[in-house]
Amino acid sequence: MKLLTLAFKNLTRHRLRSLLTILGVAAGMFLYTAVQTMQSSLAKATEANATDTTLVVYRENRFCPSTSRLPEHYLATIKKIRGVKEVIPIQIAVNNCGASLDVITFRGVPAETLMSYNPNIEIISGSYKDFTNRSDAALVGKNFAQRRNLSPGDKFEAVGVNVQVAGIIQSDSPQDNNVAYVHLPFLQQASRIGLGVVTQFNVRVQSSDLLKSVAAEIDQTFQADQQPTHTRPEKAFFAETAKQMIELIGFTHWLGLGAVLAVLGLVANAVLLIVRGRVKETAILQTLGFSRQAIGIIVLMEGILLGALGGLSGILGAYLFFHFRAITIGNEGLTLSLAPEPAIIFSGISVAVLLGMLASIYPAWKATSRPLIHSLSS
Amino acid sequence: MAFISIRSLTKSYTKGKTSVTPLENLSLDVPQGEFLALMGPSGSGKTTLLNLIAGIDTPSSGQLEINGRNIADLSQRQLTQWRATHVGYIFQLYHLVPVLSAYENIELPLLLGKLTKAERRMKIQAALDLVDLSDRAHHRPAELSGGQEQRVAIARAIVHHPELLVADEPTGDLDRDSADSILTLLQQLATEHGKTIVMVTHDPKAAQAAHRTLHLEKGQLINNPRQ
Repeated sequence: MKLLTLAFKNLTRHRLRSLLTILGVAAGMFLYTAVQTMQSSLAKATEANATDTTLVVYRENRFCPSTSRLPEHYLATIKKIRGVKEVIPIQIAVNNCGASLDVITFRGVPAETLMSYNPNIEIISGSYKDFTNRSDAALVGKNFAQRRNLSPGDKFEAVGVNVQVAGIIQSDSPQDNNVAYVHLPFLQQASRIGLGVVTQFNVRVQSSDLLKSVAAEIDQTFQADQQPTHTRPEKAFFAETAKQMIELIGFTHWLGLGAVLAVLGLVANAVLLIVRGRVKETAILQTLGFSRQAIGIIVLMEGILLGALGGLSGILGAYLFFHFRAITIGNEGLTLSLAPEPAIIFSGISVAVLLGMLASIYPAWKATSRPLIHSLSS
Repeated sequence: MAFISIRSLTKSYTKGKTSVTPLENLSLDVPQGEFLALMGPSGSGKTTLLNLIAGIDTPSSGQLEINGRNIADLSQRQLTQWRATHVGYIFQLYHLVPVLSAYENIELPLLLGKLTKAERRMKIQAALDLVDLSDRAHHRPAELSGGQEQRVAIARAIVHHPELLVADEPTGDLDRDSADSILTLLQQLATEHGKTIVMVTHDPKAAQAAHRTLHLEKGQLINNPRQ
């Protein structure tokens, strides 16, 4: 603690240099946190786990919602398949099938089924009754509403569809927070797809071990039909459909690595300059009885402090940025909400501290390896 | 027994292809509580001798006993620990840490031990009282005069109660009045507090303040009865 105080005071000696270093580290750690957030959000959306019980039934060999057209009457047949717990037909309309940061997604669903199929949806403003009472009403996800500055009673138009906001919803499913739910017949007509046609069916099975067998049976059932299906677990569907987005996000890990290396180099350079400017003073401390180990610890602490202060600023900045901007990447009608989690914040701070320490090892060695008598006479 | 006992001390090193011997076969005794001044021209070996006595440098051969302990045999790590406990060093240019207050600079040698904050505060206050700078405790070096900075440096050198003080031209950067007050303080430390002081100086007036003055030339003491 005593040495930490000394290290901190040493950093205040060249305030501008320390501040610029901290700013550089903050920029690097902002980028690192942003990349980690994207990677983590993607992993959450695509990596299967034991609690997954949802299947997505899509038109075979189709990837964009505008080209996947399935007869709505498949619903009754799917419901009868053994192991199926619940089914919801969904019509999807998007403004852009490619990867985009400003995707608008309408999901047309039977109003009476929405809440029973997805009980996690919570209305945070407006009312469900207003939604059911009006055919052009929409329940808008909170991130969508935040981005478009929408509140209950507002009207908005997108993809040629005019709706009135009946309520703002939130859910533990990131997809729900980024779409606008509308009535299925309304969307079928408004998007000129026509009544009786849907984009997909979301099927909930009784247990996760039934996912494979139910999917196989659905596809087999409609194999010879005019509109054959391809049924996959929801996360596998996401992974296979949103390939552009996944490739894009996959590439960003190089940016994260670059940010880490930049922080390492920046802190190492700053600490090396500090050490070089303090050769005589280090010798004075050694003359007073400070061991090489104590001198090394002071230098390491200076690097750790630069890393930690810069890291905290950058990570906090990234957290606030994602929190208030509610950024969502869309691809093929699917949306990926970018929200930093506590685990990313903690791991980011640990990385910043570790980088600060690693970057100071060589300067610490330089500070302690020079013979005392030479340093004193320098 | 002498507090500092030096026998046949030689220090030599290689500079490029040349072998340099700043001290050769030097012997010297300094009793406890003596204030000794070392004088001599530049390159005579006085700072080398001072650094050897302070445990900053190690001799090439010979015996160097301080308070009965031959420090010539100590490793670098042992020398560091020994300096931390037994030596106070006063530099010509004070060498205070600029971002620390007078109080914090004096505290530096105490950070190495296991003293509590309250114990450290007591020792620092005593050192500040001794150098008559209690009212400047929270001033930074830039806010002090040269004489005050040197007083802080002396307080830093004595705060951990070393038996030996080594001073490398402690008045070399001060005006006459400040220099006189520093020399009076050093005399007081030797006579009233029993500190053994070895001081290197070019200033004959400063040397007069010491109990004894020795002259070095080409690595030899020229008026030492022991040699």
